[in-house]
Amino acid sequence: MEKDLWQQWQAYVELMFPPGTPSSFAPAPQWFAPYTDAAERFSTEARRFFETVRNAATPAGEAARAFGDSLREQFADFFPKLWGMDPTKGPQGAAWSTAADIPALGLTREHQLRWQRTLEAWSRMNAAQRRLQRVWSDVLQEAATAFAGRLAAAPRSPPNDEALHALYDNWIDCAEQAYASAAHNAEFSEAMAEFINASSEWRRNMKEGIEQYAKLLDLPTRAEINSLLQRLKTLEEQRNGKSSDHAKTRTSDRRRPPRKKSKPSARRKSKP
Amino acid sequence: MTDPGLFAALSAARHCDAGCSQKHEVWRSGKLRLYRYGAIAESNGAAPLLIVYALVNRPYMMDLQEDRSLIRGLLAKGVDVYLVDWGYPDGADRFTSLADYIDGYLAACVQQILKSRRLDGLNILGVCQGGVLSLCYAALHPEHVRNLITMVTPVDFHTTGDLLSKWVRKIDVAALVGEGNVSGDLLNQLFVSLMPFRLTHQKYAELLRGSADRARIENFMRVESWIFDSPDQAGVAFREFVVWCYQENRLVKNQLEIGGRKIQLRALQLPILNLIGRKDHLVPPDASGALASLVGSDDFTTLEFDLGHIGMYVSARAQREVPTAVASWLARR
Repeated sequence: MEKDLWQQWQAYVELMFPPGTPSSFAPAPQWFAPYTDAAERFSTEARRFFETVRNAATPAGEAARAFGDSLREQFADFFPKLWGMDPTKGPQGAAWSTAADIPALGLTREHQLRWQRTLEAWSRMNAAQRRLQRVWSDVLQEAATAFAGRLAAAPRSPPNDEALHALYDNWIDCAEQAYASAAHNAEFSEAMAEFINASSEWRRNMKEGIEQYAKLLDLPTRAEINSLLQRLKTLEEQRNGKSSDHAKTRTSDRRRPPRKKSKPSARRKSKP
Repeated sequence: MTDPGLFAALSAARHCDAGCSQKHEVWRSGKLRLYRYGAIAESNGAAPLLIVYALVNRPYMMDLQEDRSLIRGLLAKGVDVYLVDWGYPDGADRFTSLADYIDGYLAACVQQILKSRRLDGLNILGVCQGGVLSLCYAALHPEHVRNLITMVTPVDFHTTGDLLSKWVRKIDVAALVGEGNVSGDLLNQLFVSLMPFRLTHQKYAELLRGSADRARIENFMRVESWIFDSPDQAGVAFREFVVWCYQENRLVKNQLEIGGRKIQLRALQLPILNLIGRKDHLVPPDASGALASLVGSDDFTTLEFDLGHIGMYVSARAQREVPTAVASWLARR
């Protein structure tokens, strides 16, 4: 995640200050590198597949499987990256588990409990990430198998651009089908929900910790600002309610004809 | 092979603006803006049409560029168009509720139009989540709505094909929201994860394959900009919408309450036009189609288009078919 951020920042700096053109903007195709790289990797593997099949060096089914496997490898960390997942980070091993189990006693009890809850939430996040990665790995396996099956059955086209594009679309179809099938399953939605729920719990505990420091330094906390916002909202609602009641009264006053000059039947008609 | 001019064309198009039709602000409250679009054809004589867009994306998708603008299509048919722009909620809006949006802001927009035009009712076109808000508004204030159009609007949130709903049902939304807003980035992650290979790879591969044609690139960049221009969501309204609709499916059960008042879809007696995208991956056709059996209206029309969620706004086919369908349906009433 941090690496991604650093890469994004570098791309941004290059965008804003292209090398050698300090005062003017110059197009820099490297901004598109992730997409061009992916396209090139796909093309390379596809050409290799075509070559292998053409030379009959390897059976078509085997070449197709190798192609599918290379794509599986290429997309291995794609979904985790999309969600900023990295189960290798955070508390690991026995040390943190001991820290999480130490009974909370004495003056710092509440703070210790908060940090233990934070560690537990992180551990839950990691477990959910690992579950999602397993599902993702299965998705890619299934997609690669389906793709290899289609390749082995399909007529051989020459390795021109059109054939490469068709192959690529074919791969995307296989991958989306495999993904949709997994994503609709309870296993996936439970792991996804667990990841988000654990993240919420982690964030809540982190926020509480930060607010402790804010209070020590006599800085306003988010909780205090929220409290003020709620009071403001209540006051606004009361004011709007009053002005609305006032407007209703004024409207009904305007509509009501003077008593002495009107007949009872006319008053009834004029009622809103 | 990628067209060598493509990257330069992309760079040149990086700041291209969306929006092509002339509009002016007629009212504002907080971050909300109410716009009226300038006429480009003789009026069709019908009551004004208020477009109520979703809270989760920006409404300029309805008027992206000249050849991709449902609003322009409606204006060309003589429809008098107003649009609610909810703005970008920030930390000060975190306690804004669905009742505030529907019975506060939306009701105030309707009142502004009715008052300035000396009318007692108008037509409403609710888009996606905006359709839900419009249904609620129409149920609460039937006297102010003459005709209602719902476009790619989820009504039954528990249909089998609704992937978003399946994911969301097990999320602790109260914990996710806390006392804050919900980041637009998180929503983007969710939406992109519905079809990750197509939406984060194939889309860009297709971009690389095509020509460096300026119009094509600008169109791509405008749509791209819209897709990721997701405002943060006011925490309370988000929590209410997700829990009440996605998790508890209250709308179809007639259990939804807004500001303490029950939303009874059966009580909707006004003419309704329901526009559905058959290939909609975000709001499956069944989720929208459920409306037909839930309202009390005798004048209910369903129109299905062979389009996806975004295609319903910006595809060439939508430009040809949707404004015509809406304008002619309104003209008949």
